[in-house]
Amino acid sequence: MRFALNEDQATFATVLEQMLATAEFNTVEGWGRYDLGTALDAQLEENGFYEAAREPDLGPVAAALMVYEAARAPVCFECAASALIRPYAGRDLPRPLAVVHGEARGAIRYLPQARGLVSITADAVRYADLPEGAVTPSESLYAYPMGNVDRAALDWEKLDVDPAEFDTLWRIAIAAELTGVLQAGHDAVLEHVRDRKQFGQPLGAFQGVQHRLATGAVEIEGAKLQMLKAAQSRTAQDAALALGFAQGIATRITYDLHQFMGAMGLTLEHPLHRWSYRAKLLRADLGGSAASYLAYADERWGAA
Amino acid sequence: MDFTWTDEDAAYRARIRAFLDRELPDNWDEIARHGPGSPEQTEFSLNFCPKLAEEGLLIPHWPEEWGGAARPPWEHFILGEEMWRAGEPRGAQYMNVNWIGPVLMKYGSDAQKAQYIPPMAEGRAIWCQGFSEPNAGSDLASLRTRAVREGEDYVINGQKIWTSYAGLASTCFLLAQTGGAEGGRSGIAIFLVPMDTPGIEVRAIPSLIGHGDIHEVFFTDVRVPASCRLGEEGEGWSIISYALANERVGIPRYEMGTAELDAMVAELKRRDAFSDSIVRSRASAAAAACEAARLQVYRVVDGRARNEPPGNESNLARVAVIAAEQAVADFGMDFLPDAFSGADHMSMLSHHERAIVTGIAAGAAEIQLNLIARRHLNLPKGA
Ligand SMILES: Cc1cc2nc3c(=O)[nH]c(=O)nc-3n(C[C@H](O)[C@H](O)[C@H](O)COP(=O)(O)OP(=O)(O)OC[C@H]3O[C@@H](n4cnc5c(N)ncnc54)[C@H](O)[C@@H]3O)c2cc1C
Repeated sequence: MRFALNEDQATFATVLEQMLATAEFNTVEGWGRYDLGTALDAQLEENGFYEAAREPDLGPVAAALMVYEAARAPVCFECAASALIRPYAGRDLPRPLAVVHGEARGAIRYLPQARGLVSITADAVRYADLPEGAVTPSESLYAYPMGNVDRAALDWEKLDVDPAEFDTLWRIAIAAELTGVLQAGHDAVLEHVRDRKQFGQPLGAFQGVQHRLATGAVEIEGAKLQMLKAAQSRTAQDAALALGFAQGIATRITYDLHQFMGAMGLTLEHPLHRWSYRAKLLRADLGGSAASYLAYADERWGAA
Repeated sequence: MDFTWTDEDAAYRARIRAFLDRELPDNWDEIARHGPGSPEQTEFSLNFCPKLAEEGLLIPHWPEEWGGAARPPWEHFILGEEMWRAGEPRGAQYMNVNWIGPVLMKYGSDAQKAQYIPPMAEGRAIWCQGFSEPNAGSDLASLRTRAVREGEDYVINGQKIWTSYAGLASTCFLLAQTGGAEGGRSGIAIFLVPMDTPGIEVRAIPSLIGHGDIHEVFFTDVRVPASCRLGEEGEGWSIISYALANERVGIPRYEMGTAELDAMVAELKRRDAFSDSIVRSRASAAAAACEAARLQVYRVVDGRARNEPPGNESNLARVAVIAAEQAVADFGMDFLPDAFSGADHMSMLSHHERAIVTGIAAGAAEIQLNLIARRHLNLPKGA
């Protein structure tokens, strides 16, 4: 049992943090529902960050940490699938990469940018290139680029991998991304309630505000540790539990974060929505918390 | 990062489990159903802890000088987990092992150490903790019990309340004011008071958690020699801060919660009532709360193992543990309600009691949240 990162992971984390802190990536130009972090993404790719999962001294823990850290940026870019799915595909896949799980319907995040689509079902993992013009970008409430594609029209290739393993990896990836957006939203709101004064004192001095933020901090920490543990073990059981927990806390936390921002949190100018409206999508992914918990129950206690 | 156990740790855990399997009597479930704070269990510990001591499983983390083996924090922690998983057969003595012993080693006089540490090391000492008072609960520093110096003695007057184990304890780790009228932290001193000293009266408080678990302790002109004082006058607050920081996470309660959750699921399966998805996903939600608590507690132990100064992680861990206890208890209340109305699952009942107690005893949940807000989240202090 050791909670400190190893030397390579620590260096990886420090460099990553520096790159993410670079001001140019944090100033958002337009006031859209999201902004693409294309430059940051390119820099991560050039520096080999997306290969971390298969590097012996970095491994999936570093890759999951990267997904978590990248999710904290106010800009968004496809990281989760590239960091935790692509390295295990058994062959070179292009990126950005979109993922669809099971028979999930509707728009898929990052599809408009993606060069390929991975489909994870119970019996197989398949891959298809996304030819020019195949994707129709769609309007969406969420802080992601979303798009639709006629899946039946794609040229699918079955990957020689274990679908159960990919199911697990994808759960870990979503748990990492969701924990990251919650953490970033939380940090932004903390900053706000330290500064904003009403009734002659900072909002953050009111106990009613403090306790809810403190409770949120405990929950996010619990989600993060479970996610990292799952990244290390890569067992279906740990992954389902980590995702179920993260999805379970996400709803109340995102309401609280908007609550404490007041009307400011409803503006496109304030970045909170860039995290909270990613959380809203991720908390429902793969059937949401209850579905993840059912998967866990199967692993832990077996059939009825 | 590594969330797995070493082979050594796993072997140590297996050794403890084997010992418990061998040494816990057939009627242990009967004893344990009264809960870890019960007189039944406290009494039992006087038989059981000497066996643990003989096996080298009572105080392995203590220094060799005091009969320990200077084993690392993780081993000590694994031991605590396994004891809690089994229902805490050490009863009150977990306090000696975890913090009273180590505090005496650090702050005790030679005479105090010689008198008190060996019986703890042998597993034959019951202590109680005389902190809370009717008007000093969360605001402990406002305690009023007073110890007045008279020549070579102190004369103690006042009242403690909610004191666990007081009915059977031989010694009280007592906080009292020796300073001026203003009281507060700076006036607090610690006294190691034999419970058979004239003037001490113990009354059990009838309670939801069983008879004999919590007590009032009255001190009327209790005269003790000055040699009973631990440390200096005014040093009490810093000593207990050290003690509690040393303790940090206290009891690995999620471990009992996890064991009970498994027992509940087994019972539901036996009743053919574990196929419903609502039941299954709620069981998992409780498991997730336990896991979140476990990992946060482990992080605190990891800090201790790496000799890091105590941080705010222990406050986060405490809150996570409360959520875990409540999630398990709620699961039982919702899906095995008959267990709470006279059916045969008394351990679930004790669990339900713990689900409330965990958020109150040893510092209320809200106090932890205050500390997290101020120290961990750097939120400002209110006007
Ligand atoms: C089973 C059990 C065993 C115990 N054993 C012992 C023992 O052996 N020795 C001993 O000395 N004590 C013992 N205690 C007492 C325990 O330490 C106190 O109950 C605890 O410190 C809380 O004090 P209180 O009960 O007076 O609650 P109060 O201080 O009156 O607080 C009641 C509630 O008010 C709220 N509250 C209080 N302060 C604040 C604040 N600043 N901000 C927000 N909310 C607040 C919290 O919700 C709190 O739970 C035991 C208690 C229990 C339940």
